Amino acid sequence: MKKISFITIYAALLITVSCKKDSDFLDVPPKQVITAEVAFSDPNLVLSILGDLYNRQRDFSSLDGFTNEPGWRTFADFSEAFPSENGSYFLVQRTGWGYNEWAIWDYTYIRELNLFIQRATAATELTDADKNRFIAEGRFLRANYYFELVKRMGGVPLITEPLDYDFSGNVSVLQVPRAKESDIYDFIISEAEAIKGLLSVGLTDKSRATPGAVLAMEARAALYAGSIAKYGVTTPQVALSGGEVGIPSSMANGYYTKALAAAQAIITGTAGSYSLYRQLPDLSDNFANLFLDKNSSESIFVEDFKANGGKTHGFTTNDQPYSISDEGLDAGRLNPSLNLVEAFEKLDNTYAPLATNDAAGNPIFYTDQLDIFAGRDARLAGTVLLPNGLFKGKRTEVFAGYQLGNGTIITSGDATLPQDVPGLGRVQVVGKDGPVNGAEFRTQTGFYIRKYLDPTVGSGRRGRGSDINFIRYRYAEVLLNAAEAAFELGQPAVAAGYLNQVRSRAGLTVPLTVGDITFDRIVHERRVELVFEGHTLFDMKRWRLATVVWDGNQMTVADLVSNIGNARKRNTQPFGLWPYKYYNPGNINNGKWLFKEVKPSPVTGANRFQLGNYYSQISDDILSANPKIVRQPNQ
Amino acid sequence: MRKSLLLRQEGYVRSHWLYPKSVFIICTVIICMFLSDRVFAQGQIKISGTVIDSTGAVLTGVAVKFRGTQTGTTTDVNGKFSLTAPDANSVLVFSYIGFASQEVPLNGQTTFNIRLKANNTSLQEVVVTGFGTQKRESITGSISSVTSKDIDRVHAGSTVSTSLAGKIPGVTFRQSEGRPGATASLQIRNMGSPLYVIDGIQQDEGQFNNLSPNDVESISVLKDGSAAIYGVRAANGVVVVTTKKGSGDARINIDAYTGYQNFYRFPNVTTNAYDYMRYLAEAQVNSNGSTSITPAELEKYKAGTDPAYRSFNWRDYILKENNNAPLNSVNANFTGATERVNYYVSATNLHQSSQLGKEYLFNRSNIQSNVSVKVANGLKVNLNINGRIETRENPGVPGLDDYGLAKFAVLRNTPLERPYANDNPEYLNDIGHTESNYAFLNKKLSGVFHSDWRVLQTNFGAEYQIPGVKGLTVKGLYSYYVADYLLNNQEYTYNAYTYRPATNTYDVTGGSTNPWREREQRKEFAKTQQLQINYNNTFGKNTIGATLVSERIELQHLRNWIHASPVSNNLPLIYFPTADQYQDSDNKETRIGYIGRLNYNYDNKYYLEASARRDASYLFAPDKRVGYFPGVSVGWRITQEGFIKKLLGDNSFLNDLKIRASYAVLGDDRDPGNSANPIVTPYAYLPGYNYNTGTAIIGGNALVTSADKGLVTTNISWLKSKITDIGMDFTLLNNKLSGTVDYFYRKRSGLLDRKSDVVLPLEVGYLLPLENLRSDAQYGAEFSLSYNSKIGDVSYNVGGNFSYSRQKNLESYKPLFNNSLDQYRNSTVNRYANIDWGYEVTGQFTSQEQINNYTVNNDGRGNRTLIPGDLIYKDQNGDGKIDQYDERPIGFGYGRQPNINFGFTLGAAYKGFDFHADFSGGAGFTWFQNWETRWAFQNNGNLNTIFEDRWHRTDPYDVNSTWIPGKYPANRVNPSFTHSDYELNGQRNSTFWLHGVKYLRARTIELGYTLPTGLLAKAKIRKARVYINGYNMFSFDNLKQYGVDPETTDDNGLQFPQSKVLNFGVNLTF
Repeated sequence: MKKISFITIYAALLITVSCKKDSDFLDVPPKQVITAEVAFSDPNLVLSILGDLYNRQRDFSSLDGFTNEPGWRTFADFSEAFPSENGSYFLVQRTGWGYNEWAIWDYTYIRELNLFIQRATAATELTDADKNRFIAEGRFLRANYYFELVKRMGGVPLITEPLDYDFSGNVSVLQVPRAKESDIYDFIISEAEAIKGLLSVGLTDKSRATPGAVLAMEARAALYAGSIAKYGVTTPQVALSGGEVGIPSSMANGYYTKALAAAQAIITGTAGSYSLYRQLPDLSDNFANLFLDKNSSESIFVEDFKANGGKTHGFTTNDQPYSISDEGLDAGRLNPSLNLVEAFEKLDNTYAPLATNDAAGNPIFYTDQLDIFAGRDARLAGTVLLPNGLFKGKRTEVFAGYQLGNGTIITSGDATLPQDVPGLGRVQVVGKDGPVNGAEFRTQTGFYIRKYLDPTVGSGRRGRGSDINFIRYRYAEVLLNAAEAAFELGQPAVAAGYLNQVRSRAGLTVPLTVGDITFDRIVHERRVELVFEGHTLFDMKRWRLATVVWDGNQMTVADLVSNIGNARKRNTQPFGLWPYKYYNPGNINNGKWLFKEVKPSPVTGANRFQLGNYYSQISDDILSANPKIVRQPNQ
Repeated sequence: MRKSLLLRQEGYVRSHWLYPKSVFIICTVIICMFLSDRVFAQGQIKISGTVIDSTGAVLTGVAVKFRGTQTGTTTDVNGKFSLTAPDANSVLVFSYIGFASQEVPLNGQTTFNIRLKANNTSLQEVVVTGFGTQKRESITGSISSVTSKDIDRVHAGSTVSTSLAGKIPGVTFRQSEGRPGATASLQIRNMGSPLYVIDGIQQDEGQFNNLSPNDVESISVLKDGSAAIYGVRAANGVVVVTTKKGSGDARINIDAYTGYQNFYRFPNVTTNAYDYMRYLAEAQVNSNGSTSITPAELEKYKAGTDPAYRSFNWRDYILKENNNAPLNSVNANFTGATERVNYYVSATNLHQSSQLGKEYLFNRSNIQSNVSVKVANGLKVNLNINGRIETRENPGVPGLDDYGLAKFAVLRNTPLERPYANDNPEYLNDIGHTESNYAFLNKKLSGVFHSDWRVLQTNFGAEYQIPGVKGLTVKGLYSYYVADYLLNNQEYTYNAYTYRPATNTYDVTGGSTNPWREREQRKEFAKTQQLQINYNNTFGKNTIGATLVSERIELQHLRNWIHASPVSNNLPLIYFPTADQYQDSDNKETRIGYIGRLNYNYDNKYYLEASARRDASYLFAPDKRVGYFPGVSVGWRITQEGFIKKLLGDNSFLNDLKIRASYAVLGDDRDPGNSANPIVTPYAYLPGYNYNTGTAIIGGNALVTSADKGLVTTNISWLKSKITDIGMDFTLLNNKLSGTVDYFYRKRSGLLDRKSDVVLPLEVGYLLPLENLRSDAQYGAEFSLSYNSKIGDVSYNVGGNFSYSRQKNLESYKPLFNNSLDQYRNSTVNRYANIDWGYEVTGQFTSQEQINNYTVNNDGRGNRTLIPGDLIYKDQNGDGKIDQYDERPIGFGYGRQPNINFGFTLGAAYKGFDFHADFSGGAGFTWFQNWETRWAFQNNGNLNTIFEDRWHRTDPYDVNSTWIPGKYPANRVNPSFTHSDYELNGQRNSTFWLHGVKYLRARTIELGYTLPTGLLAKAKIRKARVYINGYNMFSFDNLKQYGVDPETTDDNGLQFPQSKVLNFGVNLTF
């Protein structure tokens, strides 16, 4: 009896207080989860998914970078630049690259692309126009990511449908072997051919797939495949018997032909309206501005950013000149090397080192620091912020010390540590912007970067960041791709035509003749036009030149200033060019500048590219999880 | 009739009793007191008397009542009482906390001299347990508690956790931070973050820490199966906090103190330019073979006469200027009880600033109002309100942690640098790294950070005694908690100047044009509803108790955050065009529990308690939500056995001995690695897309992106912890010595892992889902002892506790290893958890010759980088090179709690004087030297003076001069990570840099004096006590040589250390 009343009261009270059923109380609807059915019934939600897939495209050098690899650092490798940051000197202290460098294997991304394509194809509530565009975009992103994979890894498992595990314990059906390297390139080319028609030529949004973007990808991919086929013969060890690595030389012409055709489809305007950027009278400013102008007619496919819009990058914060920094200590990490600077031609199409000494070995004095760079390819000052260069209306202050009449050099560890200069008293003896060996965030080569450096007020602040977009494909590269393909197909006149278009925009108005067109010319033109855009490594790999130019030997100044323009020239250590102020009262050169070629003291290693570096390592966890995957050669 | 209204409200009655009969009596008295004020009806016999204790001292505040009535009074300061008896047959009942109750029939007498016998044992103490209270003697679980009298004398910091060092056996303590508002890390038996329950409501750690310590009545720690009653989140033990309730006469208490804080310990740096430059020159020679610093230049620095060669002492500038940073607190409370109402109403204000400057501060105001009213026969309601405003304010400075730069400044700035250009305080000097110029780190120049928590917790409760069923009550509790967090931070743009002597001008050469403005708003809502049915009754020698509870908890977390770059420092508000980032979230959690518990005791000799809980959490897939958590415990009071009583006789050596054992299953739905996170992402069981994974710019417009959630995880459920505890409680030597001993073992299963026998190719793009697969164990022992006695007029107590606890990994799911070396290095199966691996250092190279002849590749570079003084690593596997396989376990887990904890306390009282000293300590934990405590001139900064004791050449300018040994390897400049003394093959730990810490530190040392009551009576003050109190006055530890506090966790040694605090305080009662 007691028990019954007990339970009754308990139950009664429970009911009165808790009006919801337990299961209702526990079902808390999520606020941020959307089911696939809902997502693919609403084009805005599909675009939201697509936005994520665009964001996850992988660039070798990107302005935003990712957690462990800040955007600027990949630019600073390969002796084209020097990293002025204590934590990054390893780039110039190591003796080569690990086999696992540059490896990627993001099959989660591929799965999501496959799911996207599958779900978009099955969608019933989207218009055909939307649906086709979405599917084409998914396939474009997938092909472009396979391109990134094949560039780094060679042939990879080609997976175009989501793989589902049935929890049966049998995983052999999920184990896909590596495709041939050529199969992946063929896939990229055939996908490009298949989807370019799904996209309207009228599409102008360069942050999304367009026929131009698809063709630009196809042209570059075919060119890469062609050159691997052709130049792979110089490194016969870099191959696998199953074709996972290496492409037979017989396929070279076929690929070059496709590359030229795809590039010409863009050049002839069938894929939309693209042209070289020519907006500013000063050709260096014009070249720099092509990367700053979001409406540039030259860009084809970009990663876009937007200040106050939630997506910016820290490139300017990381790399702005120290004394013109928006942000205390954040500056100056990426210092272009003298090696690169010397590569820019004189306006008469000849190569020459910067004149620091006369024939007798005496220093040459310059009134203005910029004078030593006069008469060069306009892309030099458009790519590199030279000493005394202008940024945001201010000039950089770069000098390494005072040189006295007797040759004595007076310097110090910092601009704020003055020294006694006989006759001048205690004065500042080094520039606020460097160079001082080991002084991070200031240039240690004498140069800062200009390409992508954003002059917008606030773009160097950590809190705001820069929204300069990163151009993944641009028209000048299409021209250079066409030129190279034509050259390799034995059409030097066609090649010269395309090269001269690019060169005249840089102020090199004397056209190259058919006889001037050599392989070295092609290599050189790509270097000066496309440096810091993520091409260096892959160009050197596909031409099989990487083991030649990065041979692991130390460089001397004599090496540095000789053989400029030779595609096989050694480039293992970044050098700098340090200005000194000449102090010798009464001397005609008093107050002028002299320059010295310097190897910054943190540079102790020399880049050595080994045969095993041509294709990045497939890690043990990948190999052990799928026994059908074969290892890379030479590792 | 009224007898049947026997009422027992948990957490409420704190009278002390011995026998069921007296329970009955006292409760009756209390109840009657509540029920009626119609007392003075008849009789009218005037009686009076005095109450003293066994030593003859008068007792003030003894409750004097007539049995069976509510009539009563309390003794005055002279121990005297007088009242009118209802009739000649009345029986007087005297009761007083800490003393045995006494009943005295009137028998015609009118004056009484009563001597109360002290209850020296703690057995009668009422201890708060899960959903109730129990007398200490009947407890069968491992439950320890502290009361206000233990906590009140700690004035260490501002939060409750900081007051618990060494107080409770089994509660481990590490306070690595000492900044204003800092908390200590507490764990129960190192099992992980405990659950906090405050006045019956589950709360977070922040709410626990920011109660006013004055309002805390008791803190009970449920360390074993006794926590099972809290089910789902109780696996790491439960801390049950009860706030004060009203009792006794109406009175006002004031407790106020003011304290002076100083860093307990902080690294020292060179303070003059000469020292700095000569050490730098030496280090440059060590690194590069040469230096640009000339001996002539050094002489100028040594002379220091030339203004360009002066020194600046940054450590004094930053820290000495701010010595004796204030910490003060005032609490006033009104408390008392009448027949119908009892109340405790309290307000506290605490203010704490810091040795980094007055502008770095913490302030908290608390209110607590606990009121209960008997509204009708058998029905009582109560309303408890707890509120606070918790403020943190400091200069808004660059970087995440606004205290970071000021601490860093001590080490970063060199004696060559000066805070102001030309020493003119109008002009902030551009020292090249101006962010660490302390002259910049103030509200005027750098900005203002201000955050507030505003919290209001209201608990509404009702308790009804069911008429007609003796011992049956129903309780309802509804709690609503709202917490509001508002953070405003503005970092200004500023200029830094360089003085140009030639032109006598100040040029702007640095600073920041980067303003940062942010605002964060959070709202936390928590609703708890509980229904509870209790039944308690005694049938002869059998006592039965039963409790049924149903509980629903709903939490909601709302947060938004906005960032802007204002165009001017003078604009404190945020406007749309300058805003650039916005975050928004709204999450809900719900949990349901059904709880049942049965208690049985036979003749206070045999005890049995069984409980079970059924829990459900929103977190899991619908078919995985429910978990069952049963527990059982038994106790046997051997000393209650007749034959033992006979054996021991009356005046015994052994007064009480109880053996107890418990076993229970507890659950957890929190991440074992970080209890702030759930064990599995909410909604992991639902397929679809997560909205808001980032921002893409498409077509020039910002677009919120979505990503596929990936494989759904439907099979995850609770972690289960099975805790076994075997213990013993005893009192000896005429109740003077009491103690407990416990052994425990917790096996935790259901830790998440992935199955390893099916290997999916990475190309499928997903991993196998996590499952509840792995297990681990935590086990150890603890004991405590306390001794109370008297020598003449001096009463004293001594107590101590010691605990040991370690964690071991048990099974993993079919672990795979490539080879035996891999298994040795990487297996966790049946091994202690939290192992730090590292190299064993066997010595230092003593000469270049030794290095040249050394055959083991000690630096990964053929020993080319080595010079005398560098570390020699042991080549454990003898392969001639030092790598991962030469690592050995050398530490207990960086940043973890001590495995061994202990505390002891001394107390003595003589007349008006009282003295207390508390000590606590720890061992079996790890700290390691890194960054500023490992490299000289880290960050191009000043020299930490520990590096003065280093290997160096007799003549720093002569690379061929002889070496002089020292403790540290020769100093270098920017040696880079890859230097073998700092990092070798990615490994930074070695026995040279990693230290097992041991410490014993004085916590509270207090001397108090209570003014004689006679003096105070005129001022209408009942009690007045003044005290002086020191906290952290000294310690014995092995980290002094590194200049860091023994409890620090940061490896750079720059953590805000604990403070030494000297307090002066007063307690007043009116």
